[in-house]
Amino acid sequence: MDLSSILLAGSASAMTSFFSLTFLFLFLPACLILYAAVPKAAKKYILLAASLIFFWLVSGFLIIYLLLTVLSVFLFGKWLDKIQKQMKAELSKTEKEKRKELKQQYVSRQRKVLLLAVLLHIGLLLVLKYSGFFTQNLNSLLWLLNAPIELEIPRLFMPIGISFFTLQAVSYITDVYHGLIKADTNILRLTLFMSFFPQIVEGPICRYSQTADQLWNAEQIKYKNLTYGLQRILFGMMKKIVIADRLDPMVKAIFDTPNSYHGGIIFLGAVCYTIQLYMDFSGSMDAVMGIAEIFGIKMPENFQRPFFSISISEFWKRWHITLGTWFKDYIFYPVTSTKKMKNVTSNARKKLGNHYGPLVAGGVALFCVWFCNGLWHGSDWNYIFFGLYHFVMILTGNMVTPLASKFFKKVGLDPNCSSYKVFRIIRTALFVVIGELFFRSPGMVRGFELFGRMVSDFSFMGLNDILLKKLSIDIQDFIIIAVTLAFVFIVSLLNEKGVCVRDQIAKRNIVIRWAVFYALIMFIIIFGAYGFGYIPVDPMYANF
Amino acid sequence: MDRLIEILEDIKPDVDYANCETLIDSHILESLDIISLIAELEDEYDITIPAIEIIPDNFNSAERMMKMIERLQEEY
Repeated sequence: MDLSSILLAGSASAMTSFFSLTFLFLFLPACLILYAAVPKAAKKYILLAASLIFFWLVSGFLIIYLLLTVLSVFLFGKWLDKIQKQMKAELSKTEKEKRKELKQQYVSRQRKVLLLAVLLHIGLLLVLKYSGFFTQNLNSLLWLLNAPIELEIPRLFMPIGISFFTLQAVSYITDVYHGLIKADTNILRLTLFMSFFPQIVEGPICRYSQTADQLWNAEQIKYKNLTYGLQRILFGMMKKIVIADRLDPMVKAIFDTPNSYHGGIIFLGAVCYTIQLYMDFSGSMDAVMGIAEIFGIKMPENFQRPFFSISISEFWKRWHITLGTWFKDYIFYPVTSTKKMKNVTSNARKKLGNHYGPLVAGGVALFCVWFCNGLWHGSDWNYIFFGLYHFVMILTGNMVTPLASKFFKKVGLDPNCSSYKVFRIIRTALFVVIGELFFRSPGMVRGFELFGRMVSDFSFMGLNDILLKKLSIDIQDFIIIAVTLAFVFIVSLLNEKGVCVRDQIAKRNIVIRWAVFYALIMFIIIFGAYGFGYIPVDPMYANF
Repeated sequence: MDRLIEILEDIKPDVDYANCETLIDSHILESLDIISLIAELEDEYDITIPAIEIIPDNFNSAERMMKMIERLQEEY
């Protein structure tokens, strides 16, 4: 069997996971060898070819969506560039007094082009991702109105990573519109930016200015990048295979048949799901960063130890950072920067003061951000609820802050003391777990049922060996998970204190360095959840 | 510059605006402060600050903000 047939023989999931044998031992090494072997000028083409082959292996003919998206933003970029050049030429010939008016005419033309591009790309995403959801809800409405019509629910094929590369496409075209970047004149460079294989499945969502040039000026692999990158991949692999995948059967069992369990077990399921999601997503991100690092590419980080956050607002600045930044840059500030919203802020500040004044416009923008955030994650009401839940939490947090400060002053407590900080960290984690309960639930109503049971019947009764067996987990699993989590926690704590663990390892002699490598590899081989009794788990964010 | 620092003090007091160069990076000014600040700056300096100007580089220090204001005033 040749390489291509082996690769093709694997299911799509064998490639979407960076920790699958197909990817780790065939695809990636082949890319690295070819990349290292060719001269510098050809390296970018290896990356481009690898990215397109990867996408084709995962999504087959649906690669057409990606290619059309690239072609479309390339042409829109050129269109905007043309208008901008015309504007510059005209402005240089125009008297100073008339420039403002002329510029506004050109800006208006550019805005129409931008609007068309955004509508086209977001529209395509909406149709592919949400038409089933909208039709389903429309049918429910028609049924309520006793209308004798039932619309057929469309089943559309969706390419992998569409939610990610569409946001990159929109950010590219918006940045060209704002003059932050120049429209790319090379469609191959733009294609590589849009399709770079490590990031296409789960992000991070990159800005053109962050990675396009780095990718196109691909450098020779350096020893330091190789070792640092491999360490990061192994660390991510440990998080995903030892922790996340080991928790998967238990989480699945609890959420598939929640009626069989008391509230305490459901709470345990929600906690385990939160850990699973974090370890899965951040582990995959470690792999993405590690692979990119080997090629000498620095990508924006997607996680910054979110469970050290003292508020939900801070949590979302540390969790899925590139998505949060995208929403902040392309939704939050554009909404608050409209003339109407600026007037609202000015008036509200006069009436409500410095803290509550901007909350009026900020609240509207936050609502838009969190509604979109929920919808982006999936086409069901529980995702929309998940977004709005965070909107309420963040808005409430902002509203309560001045009152809490006053209270602490009055009772003479220091809000910055360590014990209160620990309390806030635990409280934030608890709020996150509740959000994830709804996120994981099959539908919003079910989410409320689970939440209700968790609150009204909070008991761990029946948590014994028989139940654990039913949940496909045992004490040994818990010990392995706890030890690995403790290791991840120590590394995170050191990072939080500004210590780079990889730098520390690099300073040691060769015996210690390789001992660390081997220990990590052996740990994953011995304690990883794979093989007999385990079903391979796709990267969880690949489905969003 | 003095007027700008007055505006900043009004929005968020007790910050060393004359010397701090990480107002955004250190999360001293949060997004809601920025919303207020933009509304104030637009009124005070008769400028329009588009969303695209809201980047850390333009708001990390009073000096950077002043440079942005002067640039936007000169644009036309």
